[in-house]
Amino acid sequence: MVEVINLRKNFKKITAVNNISFTVNKGEILGLLGENGAGKTTTLRLLATMLKATGGTARINGFDINNEPEKVRGQIGILFGGEVGLYDRLTAKENIQYFAELNGMAKEEARRSIEYLTKSLEMEEYIDRRVGKFSRGMKQKVAIARSVVHEPSVMLFDEPTAGLDVSASRIVQDFILKCKEQKKAIIFSSHSMQEVGKLCDRIVIIHKGIVIEQGTIEELKEKYHINDMEEIFMRLVGERDEK
Amino acid sequence: MKSKITFLVFKKELKDMYRDRKTLIVSILVPLLIFPIMFYFIGRGQDDTNKKIENNLKVAIVDEGSSSLTSFLKEQKDIKVTESKDINSDVKSGNLLVALEIPKDFDSSIGKEVQGKITLTYDNSSYPSKMAYDKINQYINKYTERVVTERLTKRNINIAILAPIQVETKTSVKENEGKSQYFMSLILPMMLLIYCVAGPMAAAVDQGAGEKERGTLEPLLTTQASRMSLLWGKFLAITVLGFIISLASIVGLIIATKLNKGAMESMGNGEMAISMTSLFLVGVVALLITMVFGALELSISIYARSFKEAQTYISPLMVLVFVPAYGTYMVDAKNIDSYYFHIPLANSACIMKEFIAGIFNYTHIFTTLAWMIVYIVAALLFAGYMFNKEEVIFRT
Repeated sequence: MVEVINLRKNFKKITAVNNISFTVNKGEILGLLGENGAGKTTTLRLLATMLKATGGTARINGFDINNEPEKVRGQIGILFGGEVGLYDRLTAKENIQYFAELNGMAKEEARRSIEYLTKSLEMEEYIDRRVGKFSRGMKQKVAIARSVVHEPSVMLFDEPTAGLDVSASRIVQDFILKCKEQKKAIIFSSHSMQEVGKLCDRIVIIHKGIVIEQGTIEELKEKYHINDMEEIFMRLVGERDEK
Repeated sequence: MKSKITFLVFKKELKDMYRDRKTLIVSILVPLLIFPIMFYFIGRGQDDTNKKIENNLKVAIVDEGSSSLTSFLKEQKDIKVTESKDINSDVKSGNLLVALEIPKDFDSSIGKEVQGKITLTYDNSSYPSKMAYDKINQYINKYTERVVTERLTKRNINIAILAPIQVETKTSVKENEGKSQYFMSLILPMMLLIYCVAGPMAAAVDQGAGEKERGTLEPLLTTQASRMSLLWGKFLAITVLGFIISLASIVGLIIATKLNKGAMESMGNGEMAISMTSLFLVGVVALLITMVFGALELSISIYARSFKEAQTYISPLMVLVFVPAYGTYMVDAKNIDSYYFHIPLANSACIMKEFIAGIFNYTHIFTTLAWMIVYIVAALLFAGYMFNKEEVIFRT
């Protein structure tokens, strides 16, 4: 479970994340919706303890991001969009194994986990090949395996389908739904209304570092009497900008 | 910091570098081959010049009176007497190496035991011309000796009267070994300083800015590994590669001196007069310098946003190292002032010079070692600071 409590992050004079609060339960997908620069990535980086919070906190399965960052990192898996970030000169297996061991897994335990992921992501054909010449889809699968090899109970997705073609996006979306089935708490950041609508149970709309609305898609549609999520988003952002 | 994680990162980085064959081959082969190739061409060039001068010493003799000196010089097999219409122009253009002008009354002056005056013209900006000038001078001295001997014999005076002192020269080490030590003490510290900076560069760029550019840094920071463990693993891998490159340059230098045996007399004709203890200590100093620059280059690389930016920022370190490298180039290993051992990098170059010369001055060793430890700690603290600074890691 993820509890975010008045989380704040300043970069010098700029407040990137301003006292945001939300929770994510087991088996739930929370969509973090916002424009570019709204503070989605900063929020995820704070939860992943890559950045230190200026104020407030968050607890991941009870571990505080400010006081127990290493334990927090042991609870989470993270998948980034854009460049998947693999070591081209290592094989797919070596890439995954490296991250498994960095996350404290014993060799044998990591081997079993990799074996399972290789089968479930259908990577048998190329698991022992160097990733340098892999297609985007193949790399995406390796990145997915790397993010869950240590069996985290919380998953963070930072615009994971950005720049992917339809079939590669489908792999990621299926994987997110599989995580939900496995009762993981999931935060999915995106600026695609369609994707958020398709995958998420609840959404948090973030604008200029502030949470401007949150609830289930149905709740929001009912509240604003608008059937289109994009229209709701534009209205909320527009209202906030006017203020 | 966990040593298990550090070792894991270290192992992975070494494997990654090992598989980057092109970079690895270039990084190791270049320092390994540069000295043998460089010395081969220098030695061959010098050898060719010497042979050319020995076999074809072109001298123009303008003798107004067919003197005995001209006849003496013509008797010498390695001198080729040629004509010249314009001595100055021919010497300047290299058509002639040396020109000798002998006045008409030269022989009569010698006969009257009055000083005979001759003029030698050579190009002091040309090595062959200078060599030819020395050779002609040697023959003129021989001729002078012959004239003096004749004069003294006429007067029943022993020639030995002109040499009241007979000097017998003994050297502290074998002559060629001494030359080799001197040569090594000039070139080895300078080249090692340069290689200790250049060696870790490629690995540091790859493991700092490279991680950012590939997008592997962020996933790495989300693992349970502490940043210091990651940093130490990377730092050790960079140091190992940098040190291997420095070692390759030492091996290259040794191969160069052996292969060019006899070609370069000034190098001691291939004698290797450095003890194993000295070589070991020089290696230790090289390792310490590599550690300093490895940490420094990694810090800069982490700050950079891309490979290109990292290379731009790190390159000036090469210029920086040239100052102490060249500044201490001519410093005599046996007379190094104590203050040199307090100047960054100059102290490393000087202590290496001493080791090569077989001098083990404990005050100098401890002073340099203490400073090296200070530099390493400072460089590592700086690297740690950079690796933990959000503005650096997520600099866009």
